[in-house]
Amino acid sequence: MQRKPAQQSKHMSNKDEYERAAKKSQPKRTFPQRLTSKQSMSVQTTRPIFAALLMLCGKTTVQAQYQTMRIPQALYGKEFKLTLKDSFRQLRTGNQTITSGINGDFWGPTLFINKGDTVRMDVLNKLNDSTTLHWHGFHLPAVMDGGPHQVIPPNTRWKPYWKVTNQASTYWYHPHLHEMTQEHMTKGLGGLIIVRDSMEATLALPRTYGTDDIPLVLTSRRYDAANQFVYKNSAYGDYLLSNGTPNATFTLPRQMVRLRILNADIERGYNLGFSDNRTFYVIGNDGGLLEAPVSLTRLPVYVGERYEILVDLSGLAEGNTLDLKAYNSGRSNSFPGGEPGTSGVFGSLLNNTDFSVLHIIVGARTSNPILNLPTTLVKQTYLKAGDATNTRTLNVTNGQPANSPFRFDNKLFDIKFINHQVIRNTVEKWSVTNNNVFGHCFHIHDVQFKIVSRSSGPIAAYETGWKDAFFISRNETVAFVARFSDEADPQHPFMYHCHFGNHEDEGMMAQFVVAEPTQGTAEQHTPAKFQAYPNPANDKIYLTSEDPSSQIYYVNVVNAAGKTVMMLPQPQAGIEVSNLAPGVYFLHITNQRDKHQSVITFLKR
Amino acid sequence: MSAFAALLFSWVLQVDSPPVKGKMLHNFTLQQAGGAMYSTAQQTALKGLVLVFTCNHCPFARLYTQRLNQLARRCDTSGMKLLAINSMDTLVYEDETLLEMQKRAKEETFQFPYLQDPEQQVAKMMGAGCTPQAFILWKERGTWVMRYSGAIDNNGQEPEHAVSYIGAALDDLLSGRMVRTPYTQAFGCKIYYRNNDD
Repeated sequence: MQRKPAQQSKHMSNKDEYERAAKKSQPKRTFPQRLTSKQSMSVQTTRPIFAALLMLCGKTTVQAQYQTMRIPQALYGKEFKLTLKDSFRQLRTGNQTITSGINGDFWGPTLFINKGDTVRMDVLNKLNDSTTLHWHGFHLPAVMDGGPHQVIPPNTRWKPYWKVTNQASTYWYHPHLHEMTQEHMTKGLGGLIIVRDSMEATLALPRTYGTDDIPLVLTSRRYDAANQFVYKNSAYGDYLLSNGTPNATFTLPRQMVRLRILNADIERGYNLGFSDNRTFYVIGNDGGLLEAPVSLTRLPVYVGERYEILVDLSGLAEGNTLDLKAYNSGRSNSFPGGEPGTSGVFGSLLNNTDFSVLHIIVGARTSNPILNLPTTLVKQTYLKAGDATNTRTLNVTNGQPANSPFRFDNKLFDIKFINHQVIRNTVEKWSVTNNNVFGHCFHIHDVQFKIVSRSSGPIAAYETGWKDAFFISRNETVAFVARFSDEADPQHPFMYHCHFGNHEDEGMMAQFVVAEPTQGTAEQHTPAKFQAYPNPANDKIYLTSEDPSSQIYYVNVVNAAGKTVMMLPQPQAGIEVSNLAPGVYFLHITNQRDKHQSVITFLKR
Repeated sequence: MSAFAALLFSWVLQVDSPPVKGKMLHNFTLQQAGGAMYSTAQQTALKGLVLVFTCNHCPFARLYTQRLNQLARRCDTSGMKLLAINSMDTLVYEDETLLEMQKRAKEETFQFPYLQDPEQQVAKMMGAGCTPQAFILWKERGTWVMRYSGAIDNNGQEPEHAVSYIGAALDDLLSGRMVRTPYTQAFGCKIYYRNNDD
């Protein structure tokens, strides 16, 4: 038997291996030929379309039966209840595919939050597995971040909260359990978060969710013979899912339409463009709007990245169709010499092909359409390379020889090892060099940064905004600057890692803490003593200390059987216990100042 | 900080390789949801056993109740017995206690014994990796011998379109043939094994 974390297989991670894998013969996979009656009933396309597609490489003739793209449920407010659970979905003819979802059977709701609000998340893990939930792109206390340290066991509630300081943009949340990220992502866990603010609100932009403001989450999946997702020894899916919908179509009004695009795939990049080669406009990057729209006809979107684009459909007639496609044919993406063939770890039926990610049917104009492209967006004050007072260099290493996972600076991720300490409120320049055999997607937690140089050439206009992820190709150095501000936490780290799910699972991840300049000289304190009242308790329980300066860093509520039932980072006011079964519980309290831990027993009536 | 991960790291996962076909297995005794003990050693007249590892919290496993009832009736009329076994860790999954098993068996009118495997010993012996997962043990010279391991059928939600793998295996055995498809891929909710060394 193996320990659970080691169950994740070693994915091949280098040139030799993928070339060898590509040569390995595998049974030929075919596209699904028909959908079940239930799927057919779900098709809402006004004109059923049966398009025969000729695959350029596989020479496989397929029949695409479009399905109306799902739009994730929108949730608004300051408090959100998110229940993670296992489920299944009819994605192919025959057996259902085991999936996981948040408040549903695949993916999760889109959370709309406002800058300046304090948002509170009530995350209940009803999965069969432990997991975590990371708020990707957000600046927040490390203990709320949802990285690999904030493991939520099954049947446990986690209640993080933070004040939203991020600008209006499209963010997301996803699992981040080390060595299980690829599996949990593949099963469908995740969701979008749309931040709104006063600056964005003044602009004449489409913002009717699901009508002219469309979320578009791109992933691809491979299925085994039993229709189950493959997440071992496979990094490139054979079939695209757009918001979890295969062969997706959607009716968009003949006006200016905003697409919020997220690449939530494991490794695949998408070089997006419209089938009529029309110009479209990037208005936002990962962490905010640009100062002005950037026009282009092709936009590469790599793993973890978000782009907001505007496309003008006003010149088309109702009933016209066009496709948003991935023009991936001939692009090398991460690979030296281009994407490999159809088999093996890196093989895929989609490799080296152009394929539709959304079949668009032009529909009627709405009552208050946006028809004009704004000339300016938001005045930004970007950091410059010269603002940095400290510089760090990171190198992508290893990956060679075979079965050697990629790493940063020759060190595999070690959850107990802090790789860097950043002083609070400093601006730093980080320079990432990839003199290696494969491209990667770099992502750092806590901050939005500004890319200040790419050794491969000028920084593309479409990625000049606030970012938290970027693609770094082979033989390239990318430098960015970021301010590490607000809360310091010398104990709880943030991550930086390759956002390829298999790479981070294998250990291409490291961590840093943000510390006060004076931290490191530990002061001696008498450990704080906390008391709980009322005890016994019915609905809420309050914690007090004789030392008024004492603050609570973390409370775990543990039942009499020893199982953690609630995880409460920095709880405020009363702790809600009304949903607990009657019985004896233990409050494991970690003090903010010295991280001393104490235990209080209480009785829930 | 690693304390947050303590529960996670106290688990181990059974390797999900196919169990050995023809593996000989020991008798076991487990408690039924109703309270009584069930011992395979006492089933001297049976030709074989169908063991189905299942649980309360797995949505895919829960799709199979009616099919298990049908299968149980077939077993009962064929000199066999179907046993459903719950090997989930009750510390982790509060839905899997004997009391919750009893409730579910009553609510869904289980027509077969629903056994709790609290030490996960039967699951380990069988090499069960997930719920639902089915095994056929055939009595040969007084010993239980594994003759089938895998999925129940190939369609969880649409039984009317399903091909019953376990039904085909039973057809073979009851006709005196070796099972032609002794292994299929099972999938569903993983059974995590408690690491008693921690």
